[in-house]
Formats: sequence, C-alpha cells, structure tokens
Amino acid sequence: MENKKITSACEACPQFNPHGLKKLGVNAENTDFVIALAGNPNTGKSTVFNALTGLRQHTGNWPGKTVTRAEGAYQYNDKKYKLVDLPGTYSLLSTSQDEEVARNFILFGKPDVTVIVVDAGRLERNLNLVLQILEITGKAVLCLNLMDEAKRNHVEVNERALAKRLGIPVVPTSARFNKGIPELIDVVSQVANGQIVCQPHRITNVPKNINEAVQKLSEKIKKQFPSIPNSRWIAFRLLEGDERVVEALRNGEFELQ
Amino acid sequence: MNISQPLYNLILFVLLAGLLYFLFRPTKGWFWIIQNSVRTDQKTITEDILKQMYTWENQGVDIFKEDLIKSLKYSDGTQEDVLETMEKSMLITQTEEVLELTRSGRSYAIKIVRVHRLWEKYLAEKTGFEKSEWHHRAEKMEHRLSHEETNILATKLGNPMYDPHGDPIPTHEGDVLDIEGESLAELDVDTVGKIVHIEDEPDVIYQQILAENIHIGSQIRVVENSKQRVLFYSEGEEFVLAPEVAKNITIQVFETEVVFEEDAVRLSSLKKGEEAEIIGISKEFRGDGRRRLLDLGFVKGTPIKIDLVSPLSNPKAYLVKGTTIALREDQAAKILIKKR
Amino acid sequence: MVNLNCSKMKNEVENIIGLSNELRWKLGGEFHDHISESIYADASEIVEETVNTAGKKGRNAIDVKIDQIVTSRKWGFPIMFLILGVILWITIIGANYPSSLLAELLLDTIHPALKSGANSIGMPWWLSGFLIDGVYLALAWVIAVMLPPMAIFFPLFTLLEDFGYLPRVAFNLDYLFKKAGAHGKQALTMSMGFGCNAAGVVATRIIDSPRERLIAIITNNFSLCNGRWPTQILIASIFVGAIVPEALSGTAAVFAVIGIAILGMVFMFASSWLLSKTVLKGQVSTFNLELPPYRPPRFWKTLYTSLIDRTLIVLWRAIVFAAPAGAVIWLISNIMIGDHSIAYWMIDSLNGFGWLIGLNGVILVAYIVAIPANEIVIPTVLMLTVLVTGMAGGAGAGVMFELDSVNATGDILRAGGWTLLTAINLMLFSLLHNPCSTTIYTIYKETKSVKWTAVATLMPLAMGFVVTFLVAQIWYMFS
Repeated sequence: MENKKITSACEACPQFNPHGLKKLGVNAENTDFVIALAGNPNTGKSTVFNALTGLRQHTGNWPGKTVTRAEGAYQYNDKKYKLVDLPGTYSLLSTSQDEEVARNFILFGKPDVTVIVVDAGRLERNLNLVLQILEITGKAVLCLNLMDEAKRNHVEVNERALAKRLGIPVVPTSARFNKGIPELIDVVSQVANGQIVCQPHRITNVPKNINEAVQKLSEKIKKQFPSIPNSRWIAFRLLEGDERVVEALRNGEFELQ
Repeated sequence: MNISQPLYNLILFVLLAGLLYFLFRPTKGWFWIIQNSVRTDQKTITEDILKQMYTWENQGVDIFKEDLIKSLKYSDGTQEDVLETMEKSMLITQTEEVLELTRSGRSYAIKIVRVHRLWEKYLAEKTGFEKSEWHHRAEKMEHRLSHEETNILATKLGNPMYDPHGDPIPTHEGDVLDIEGESLAELDVDTVGKIVHIEDEPDVIYQQILAENIHIGSQIRVVENSKQRVLFYSEGEEFVLAPEVAKNITIQVFETEVVFEEDAVRLSSLKKGEEAEIIGISKEFRGDGRRRLLDLGFVKGTPIKIDLVSPLSNPKAYLVKGTTIALREDQAAKILIKKR
Repeated sequence: MVNLNCSKMKNEVENIIGLSNELRWKLGGEFHDHISESIYADASEIVEETVNTAGKKGRNAIDVKIDQIVTSRKWGFPIMFLILGVILWITIIGANYPSSLLAELLLDTIHPALKSGANSIGMPWWLSGFLIDGVYLALAWVIAVMLPPMAIFFPLFTLLEDFGYLPRVAFNLDYLFKKAGAHGKQALTMSMGFGCNAAGVVATRIIDSPRERLIAIITNNFSLCNGRWPTQILIASIFVGAIVPEALSGTAAVFAVIGIAILGMVFMFASSWLLSKTVLKGQVSTFNLELPPYRPPRFWKTLYTSLIDRTLIVLWRAIVFAAPAGAVIWLISNIMIGDHSIAYWMIDSLNGFGWLIGLNGVILVAYIVAIPANEIVIPTVLMLTVLVTGMAGGAGAGVMFELDSVNATGDILRAGGWTLLTAINLMLFSLLHNPCSTTIYTIYKETKSVKWTAVATLMPLAMGFVVTFLVAQIWYMFS
C-alpha cells in the first residue's frame, strides 16, 4: 500500500479519533480555536478547506481562485475550530491586496494555529511563503499536499527531516482523495492545545549588514514590547518601510498580545 | 420628419466628432491646453525660474537675465515682473544682468526638485504610466504638492534616495547627495562601469535613449569612443550612440578590478535547449512586477531554461524552481542571466 | 502618571520608527531583493537536505508532451478554436431541448394555470396582471432562456479549467492581447462572457494586474452572451435569411450571427487598446502567467461546484433584477395617460430618435425596460408592436409572448414597420449597448468604483448609437 508509508510519518501522534470529528460547514460561531489556512495559489488549499469543513468552495486548477476570505468550521474532540481560508499568495512581502489580507490576518488576527498548505512537488518555491510565515508565527503546521502528484513525478520528501528543519509538524496529505486529513486535524488540535510546541525556523542567510540593522532594531522593539514574539520580522518590515506595520506600532496594536 | 437629410446628418456628425477630438485628445487637446494655461500663475513661474537657476548654478554657469528669460516658455514681460517680485522677497539677487539665488531661494528650489523627483519615483513605482511621461507629469505636480503632502508621499515611498533616472532626491532637511560618475561621452576605451544616471532633458535625446532600451544599473564596457560615435557593450549586446546622446548618460567607473560580468546577458537572448543561471533583475524592472518576480523565485543563482514557446513566439514560458512561468519579451529583456 | 507613560511610549515608538528610517537609508535601495534572496537561499538549503527527486528534474513527461502539442505553432490555434467551437455548439444545440421543455412548463402550462387560479379566487384583474403577467412571466422567461445554456456551458468550461488547459490558451493568445494593451487571460474571460457577461466579469479575478483586469471587465460586454444569441439568431433568420435564395437562407443567417460575434471581438480589441492608451494608462500593469501542471478533473465534483458557484448565483441575480422589470413592463402597458398607455407615449416620443439610428421607438423602449435581462427583449418587442399597431394577435397589454413560427413573428415585425435596416441595426445594437443590470451590478461589486462602472455601462452604449447612426444614415443615403 503506497499510502501506508505516508500516514506513518506522524509516528508520535496519538490515534486519530474518527468519532470526535464533526464538520460544521459555515456555522462558525462560538469556536474555541481559530485556524488560518495559508498557502501558495494552486496548491489545493481550497480542497483542504473543503475536506475539513465539508463545504464545497469551487477549487480551480488555476492560480488565484480564492480572492475573498472564506470561513468554515469543524468540531473535533469537543472543541470547535473556526477555519479561515486566506487568499493564496506567493509571499507576504509585496503590496498586492491578497497578500495584505493574508498578512494582516496572520499578524493581527492572531490565529491559534496557521496551517500552511504546500505543493510537495514544488517545495522550494512554496518554502518562500512558509519561511515568511514562520517569522511571524511559531504556531504552525505544514500540510504537505499533493503527495500523489509528487509521487507520480518521483519527488520524495523526507518529512521528518523537513519537520526537524522547519521546527513545526509536517503532515503529508492528498486532500483531493481525502488522504491525510484525519492526521492533519489531529496535529492541528495538538498544536492548538499546546501539546506540541514548535520551534520555528528563522531565516539564516541574511547579508551581514542587513542582519546587523535588523538586530539593532529588533532589540529596541523587544525592549519596548517584551511580549512580541516576532520582533525580528517587524524589524524586517520596518526596514522595508511597510506603512501598515508602522501604523500598527503607532496604534499600539502589538501590545495586546 | 425634417431630420431626413442623411448627408447633412453625416456631415454634422463628422464635424461634431472632429470638434470633440480636437478638444479632448490626450495632452494636445484644446481643453487640456486651456486648463493648463489657467493653472499657470505667479507661483508656477517663480518655481520654474528657481529650478532653472538651481540647475545652472549647479553646473557653475553664470546666469544672465536674458538667457534665463529665453530659456523659459513664458512671455518676457511676465517673467520680468516675476523676477522683480522675487528680488523683493529675497529669493534672488541681481548684480547688473547676472542673477544669483539667495540662501532661501536655493532651499526653495531644492524643495521643488524634491517634489519633482519624488513624484517621478511615485509614478515609476506605484502607477503604470510610461517612462516617457514621468517627467511631464512631475513638472505639473511639483507646483501643486504642499510641504506636508510631500513628506507624506516620501514616507509612503519609504524615503527613497534616488529617483528613477538615478538623480538623488533631496532629503526633508534639504541635503542633496552627489551623483558620482562621469559622462559616457568622455570615457576612454575599455573603461568598465555602471550606468547610474540617465538625464531626462531635453526630451528629444531622452526619447532616443529610451528607444535604445538602455537600463539604469547596467554594467557597461566602452569599446569605441570617437567624435562620430560611442560604442559600448552591455548585457550581451552592443549599443551605438551619438556623442551628443552619450553625454546624457552618467557612468560610475569601477576603480578596482570589479569583476565585469562579461557573460551576463539578457534572458531574452536565451534559446530553447540552453541552460542558464539568473544573475539579477534590472533596476528598470520596478514596482509590483519586480516584487512578484522575486516572489516567484527569480533570484540570483536560480537555474532557468525555456520550457515552452508560444505559437506567436512571445511570450515564452520559463522553468524556474520546478514551475513553468510565462514572461513577455520586454520583461525577459530586464532579467540578467549567465549561460551555462 | 498614566499619561506620562503613554507619551513616553509614543516617544519610544517614534524612536524606533526614526531608527528604522535611518537604517533603511544606510542599507540602500536593494533591501527587498536581498531579503528575497536570503529566503530563497534558506529554502534551497532545506530542499537540498529533505527532497529526493530520484535524479529526475523538471516537469512530468506527460505534461511536457501535452504542452508541446497544445502550444505548438501548428496545432495550438486549431485545437483552441475547435474546443471553443465544440463547447458553444454543445451549449446551443444542447440547450434547445431543456429550454423548450422549461418554456412549455413555465410559460404554457403554469402561466395559464395561475391565471385561471387567480380568476377563480376572484383576484382583481390588475393584481393578477401585475403579479402573473408582469412579475411571474419575466421570471419564467429568464429562467427558461438562461438556465439551460448556462448549466451546460459553465460546467464544460470549469472542466477545462480544472484540467489546466485554460492557462495555455492565455499563453497562446497573449501576444495578440498584448498588442491591444490587455492580458492573455482576457481570452478566457471573454470566452466566459459568451456564456454570461456577469460570470465573465467575475472571472476577471484571475487577472492580477490592475490595469488589464479593468480592461477585461469593461470590455467583457462585447462578448455576445447567452441572453443575446437567441435574439441574433431569430432576427437573422427572419430578415437576413430572406434576402438570399431560400436554399441558402439558413447559411446566410448563421454567417450573419457569426459576423456579429466577430465584430464584437473587433470592438473588444479596439476598445481595449483605446482604454489602455487613455483613461487606464495610469493603472499599474504587470504580467506573469503560471502554467500549472495538468490534473485530471473530478467530474462530479466539478459539475456540482460550477452549478452552485456560477450558474445558480448568476441566475439568482438575474431573477432579482428580472422580477421588477416584468412589473414595469406590465405597468407601462396598462397605465393610461389620456387615451393611451405610458408605453405608447414613450414609443411615440422615441420614434424620432429611433429613426435616426435606424431603429424604432418600440425597440428602444424594449431595451430600456429590458435592462435587467436581454432575454426578454424579443417578447417585449412583440408585445409592444402589437400594442401600438393595434393588430390582432398577441396575449394582451403587458403580456409578453413569443411565437413558435418564425414566419409569423416576421409578419408581426414587418407590420410594425421593420425593414432589413431595422434588423441589421437591431443586431448591431444588441451587441453594442449597455450591459444588463446583473452585469452592471457585478462590475460595481468587482471594481467597487462608480467611475469604472459608469465607463463600462456608457461606453458600449455610445458606441452602439454611433455605429447604428452611421449605418442608418449611409443606408438612407443610398436608398
């Protein structure tokens, strides 16, 4: 069985409890946790969303399908999870509207867990977004989607090494065929409940002069806002002249952590 | 019905259409011309005079009143009047026929230059206007923005240092960086350097440079420099310019032996089957388009090759980091690669 | 004390921002590039360590094979046109049967049943007329004409989309669209417009460059939509088919309709070019087009989602707009001012202008009240023609109708003063006029701008007036 190997990647996880799952569709009131769904366009993000919530959003093989933010919910082991499907983006650094929506939600919406959906066959390009998100939030799960396609193209991903390198749990899935979704639900619940603590990767290959500047700035930010988990990323954004972040600093949006 | 004269109707229609065309055609329409001339007031003339004097003083030229009046497109009489007012309000001083900027006149001029260059930067980064239009639009805008608006604009743009032509943008405090470099027309054969500035005035010459597809930030090597022509090599292509045109391009000469990327060529020259590595994206590739390409993985060191050519041969699709991405020819011309 | 803390905090924040500005200045202008490079450097290190491609780099061999064929010089264009042609053919032919079934049910069975029901419970004539002949009939008409073709067209299109073929079409055609200042993906939104302009406008979301997206939105109306095909076909068969020998009349009508559709594309390209050079030149323009891997579409799921996502939503909006239109049509034909109905007065006052552009008052009034849905133009025209000429036939004031026989329809129209010029200009005007209100509303939703909505609405209308005026005047001159 080709899928046996994939599912066993999550060895440490307790068994998924199929009776604990209830798909709640759009009924997203009074939830215990907020889960953000981020990812590049065309990685099957919407398919994952549909698989989790039981909704049927249209998912096209066409980059940039989901333009607005979609919301849905599911229940697992007596906890309710609200799922927010963010627009598919290649990055969070640019100024396009989609990226603004995705970035603002991850930064200011403070989701309990961010699930990052990536195309297993095109990992390198997808990591661009993953590494940026990990600079913002540590509470993340990597959903290694389109495993079936990757397999067909002879791409093999060492999930354990990847999880270790990124410092977050990695769950292989083929959302189109509903494979790996139970494992994903379980891992998300563990991160949300604090049973798994992540140690997110931080970008290392930064040129020396930039690194110095970032460090200088980030220390100042930390001194002012000791509770900010992502002072380094804010420093990056300030150096880029990101107006929204400047505004957030001025309004004290970062103090309410 | 008395409107049943098709010929008259048609003639009337043609006349009406013609009138509308002449009134509203882009830039040269009468309506726009009238609108502009209404807007031309004392302030505009003052500011244009200050800017012209600032430019000449920077070049070390003595400013004769006569020359100044001739160089601007306003009527002589108005200019005389404006100059008189300017002298009274201590923006300029006059000794015989030679004019000079006072300190406050100079700082006023720098403010205008700041608005002009910031606006060009804004047009380049945040709008889709063609390069050839930036200057004219900035010429109008420089008289309209207040000091506060200018500072807000600068913040929005992230306080940039240079305008898209490579000119330094004066700071809020009025400091101006110098452009370090020499005119392309004066370089010796085999000099290696980088284009740091392209002058956008006069328009005729600037349009010629634009037509040649010469980019700011490109490395060049001078191959020939004579009275008839300047020939240089850049990004895998040869460029020939008249000295008159070359004069308007400033080159920062590499003093130490910086490795001249002799084998750096434009992506547009890549052929099917060849493999290459990306060196970088030209500075001429700006704004959202540039950031998007970086996000897609068009970064230094990335292997690239042609995946598909469309039936009309433009655009071409390139394989980058496992993904097929189509780019148009003019975009590919602004990406530098090294063939393997 | 609190205040003091607060202002101290403000100071600190300003300090941080000031420092960041200073540092940015020192680092120079290539900060963004360096950051992107750093992130990708990390990414490639990680991939190096964790991914094994079994020595095979590049794309799937089957994908490459398919791409080589569908983007080749020789086969690229023929395959594209073949697929579009087949889809349109299946839509038009396939929609006939369910359409007539629905018409029979909604118009010929339920409508009379409702009427007699209303009579038996003693409903006043004006109420049953308003509700059943006005509101209900317009709704029924829109559903019968609109639903079947959309329910066929959109799933087919969505299947192609899910498979991954559509980006290849954009790739093949981009050069042509670039010449007009537009994006290759506009080829797809345009094709979608052949189904429904509102859906075409929504589809422009795939274009991520602001300028090109606006162009695609504003020019989508030049794609002849499902609501307008039947009008074109009917008028062409009656009038164009009649001027050639009988054996050729069918062919001539088909060519006339295709000619109008192609003319629409010509207008689309021309106005795209004009817009990109004038009002839209300041909008940001970027280009990149990802060609995703092919994926076998999941048939049933696609069918379901495309029905829900596109067909039903668009249909719902059309219904919302059609109901009041039906009411208005009934009201203007039944409310009297002096000796005549409002409709009569409107037609009378518009006849002069109608003549100037080779149409007539009836057609103009029909287009005014049928802004919500082009589907009801012909029924309204027939009803109004009978109303003003006072001829026998029809179903009564304010009751739209259509006839099964093409010849009988032609007789009514000719009695209303129609000539070949009226027919040609109606076909042109049906192509070149304001989008239906569903589309206008959708444009507003997508652009969130009154200005661009107004441009998209008025530009084609102005073009329609100019073109029909010129055709009419030249026609009058030579006849």
